[in-house]
Amino acid sequence: MKNLYLLSLLLLALYQPIACAHAVVTDYSLKITPIHENQADKVSLDFNSKIELGLSQVFLVSKGDKQTLLTIGKGDKQGRVNIEIPALVSGDYALKLKVFAADGHLTEDVIHFTVAP
Amino acid sequence: MAGIADFLDSLIGGFALVCFAFAVGSLFWGLFVLRPWLRDAGYPAVLLERTVKLLYAGGFALAGAQVFKIILKIWLMSAVLDKWPFPEFAETTQFIGGIVRALFTLVLAGYCYCVLSKNPYSKDYWQTAGLVAVPMIISGAWLVHAAGRFDNPVILMGLTVIHQLAAAAWIGGVFHLVNIWLMRSKKQISADLWPLLLKRFSLFGMASVGVILLSGVPMALQYIDSWNGFIGTGYGNLLMVKIILLALALSLAWLNKSAVADYFVTRDGHALNYRVPYYIEAEAFVLITLLFTAASLASQPPSIDIPNLTASWQEVVDMFTPRVPRTASPTHQALIAGEAGRVAIIGQVPSEAATAWSDYNHNIAGIFLTTMSFFAMLSYVKRLPSAFSGFERYLGYLTRYWPIGFVGLGIFLFFRSDAETWPLGPIGFWESTFNNGEVLQHRIATLLVFVLGVLELVARLPRNQNSRLPYFFPILAAFGGLMLLTHSHVGFQAKSAFLIQIGHTLMGVFSLVLACGRWLELKLDRPGKDIAGFISVAALFQIGLILMFYREPLY
Repeated sequence: MKNLYLLSLLLLALYQPIACAHAVVTDYSLKITPIHENQADKVSLDFNSKIELGLSQVFLVSKGDKQTLLTIGKGDKQGRVNIEIPALVSGDYALKLKVFAADGHLTEDVIHFTVAP
Repeated sequence: MAGIADFLDSLIGGFALVCFAFAVGSLFWGLFVLRPWLRDAGYPAVLLERTVKLLYAGGFALAGAQVFKIILKIWLMSAVLDKWPFPEFAETTQFIGGIVRALFTLVLAGYCYCVLSKNPYSKDYWQTAGLVAVPMIISGAWLVHAAGRFDNPVILMGLTVIHQLAAAAWIGGVFHLVNIWLMRSKKQISADLWPLLLKRFSLFGMASVGVILLSGVPMALQYIDSWNGFIGTGYGNLLMVKIILLALALSLAWLNKSAVADYFVTRDGHALNYRVPYYIEAEAFVLITLLFTAASLASQPPSIDIPNLTASWQEVVDMFTPRVPRTASPTHQALIAGEAGRVAIIGQVPSEAATAWSDYNHNIAGIFLTTMSFFAMLSYVKRLPSAFSGFERYLGYLTRYWPIGFVGLGIFLFFRSDAETWPLGPIGFWESTFNNGEVLQHRIATLLVFVLGVLELVARLPRNQNSRLPYFFPILAAFGGLMLLTHSHVGFQAKSAFLIQIGHTLMGVFSLVLACGRWLELKLDRPGKDIAGFISVAALFQIGLILMFYREPLY
C-alpha cells in the first residue's frame, strides 16, 4: 500500500503544463504609426517583462507564410524592442515573435499588420 | 523532438517545487516540530534518520532538477530558435541564477548527508543546516517571474520567496506526517508519537498558512488589478483554482485538527488511527496539485498586463451555459479542408468544421461520463422507487461495471482527439506525438482513460475483491485532474485559450475531488466511506455536464 501511495505521489509529480507564455506585448508602434509602402521603417514593441535580446527572434511573415528573419535591437525604454522593417509592397503581413524573457519563459506570438498602397 | 523538450521543460518546474517542499519542509519539520535536541523528546534513531534522509534526498533531487531545467532550456531554445544558444544564454539571469542555486542546494544536501545525518540530535547542527539553507532559498528569488518585472521587482521577488518558503513548510510537514504514519504502521516508532506530532504540527501548519496568505494577497493585488482580471484571464483563473485547492486542503486539515483535539479530550483514538491518516494522504494529493498549479500560474501573463485580452464575465458564464449537446460531427474531409486556412498566419480563415469537431468530441465525452456517473450514483441507492422495480435485477451489473464506459471513451478519444494525425490524418503517430506538446498531452490522456477503465473493471471482478487494483482508479484520476488543470491549447489567441482553459481547469478540480473521494471511500469506515464515495461520483457527473455543454470559441 505504501508503494502504491508513493506511486500516486510520483504520478502527480509527473505532469506539468505545455505552454509557457509569460512575456506578452503590451503595446506596439504599429497601432498608431502604420508602415508606408516601399519605405524601410522601424517598429517598436513594448513587453511586460525584461527580454533577452540575444535569445529572441522576430520574423516578417508575408503572403504564403514566407518568413524572413529581421534585425532587432534594444529600445529607448525598459522592455522595448526595436525591429528593422525592410521596404514592403502593399499587402497583409505579420510579425512572428520568439522571445526569451528574463524569467526563463520562451514565448511565441504573432502581430498582424497591413501595408496600405 | 521540440514537443518533448517543451513538455519536460514545463514538467520540471512543478517537480522542483515538490523537491523544494521536501528539502525545506524537512528542515522546518526538524527545527520547529521535532526539535530532537529536547531532553524529553526521546525519538528513536530511525525517525531522525528518515527525517534527515528526506531532507538531503529532496536537496539532491532539487539540485538535479535545477541542472536538468537548464539543460532543457538549452534543448528547447536550440529547437525553437534553430541555433545553439551559447554564448548568449550563459549571460542570462536564468543560467547564472540556476547554476548558483544548484550549487547552494548541493552544499545544503551535502552538509545534511555528511554531517547532520551523523548528529541528528544536536541543536547546533540543525541550526547550521538552517543557515546553510539561507543562500539556497534567497537565490531562488532570481528564478521566479517577479525577476523579470519592471514595477517593484525586489518586493515581488521577496514576497514570492516568503510565499514559497511558507508553502514548503506546510506541504513538507504534511509529507512528514504521511511518513510518520507509515513508520507507525510498521511499528518502527511508538504509537504515542502519532498524536503528539499531529498536535505540534497543527499550530505550525496554521502559522504557515497564515504566512502563505499574508505574502500571497499583496502579490495577487499587484498582478490582478480588477475583478474582471480575476474572472476573465488565465492568470486569474489559475489563482482561483489555487484558492479552491487551498480551501479543499484546509477542509481536510480542519478534520484532522478536530480529530486530534477530540483525542486529547476523550483519549478515543479511533478517528486518529482510522480516519486522520487517510485525510492526510488526500491532503497530500491536493497539495501536490496545488504546487503544480502554482508552477503553471508562473507561466501565465499577469492579468494587469493584458486588459485588452480579458474576457468579460458574460463570456465566462456563457462557456458553462446548458445547451443541446452536438451529436453530429462534421466529416473528416471537411475538417482537413479547413486546416490549411486555420493554421495560416497570413489570411487565416477560422474553421467552423474544426470548432464543430472539437465540440462534438467534448459533448460525446460528456454523454459518456454523465451516463456512467449516473449509474455510479445509483449504486449508493438502496432501493429504486417502486415504478422502477423491474430494473432492479439489471441494476447490480450496471452499477458495478459502469467503468466500462472509460474503455469506450478511451477508444473514442484515440480516433477523434487529433484528427490531423494518425490514425485519421496525414501526420504520423510518432512524428505528431513527439513534435507537438498538445498532441502528446492528448495521447497521454487517452491512454490514461483507457487504462483507468480496464483496471477498474478488472478490480470489480469477484475474484479480485481483495486486490490492490481499486487504488489505481484514484491515482490515475488524480493524474488526469492534474493534466486538466495544466492543459493548454497552443496557437490560440490569449482570450480564446483562456475560454477553453476555464472549462478544463474546473474539470481538473472536480477530477481531484473524484480522486480524493474515491481514495477516502476505499480507506475510511462508514459513514465517511459512503459520503466520500458519493461525492466522488457526483464530481464525475459534474465533469460530464461541463463536457456535455462545452462550446469552443471559433478560431
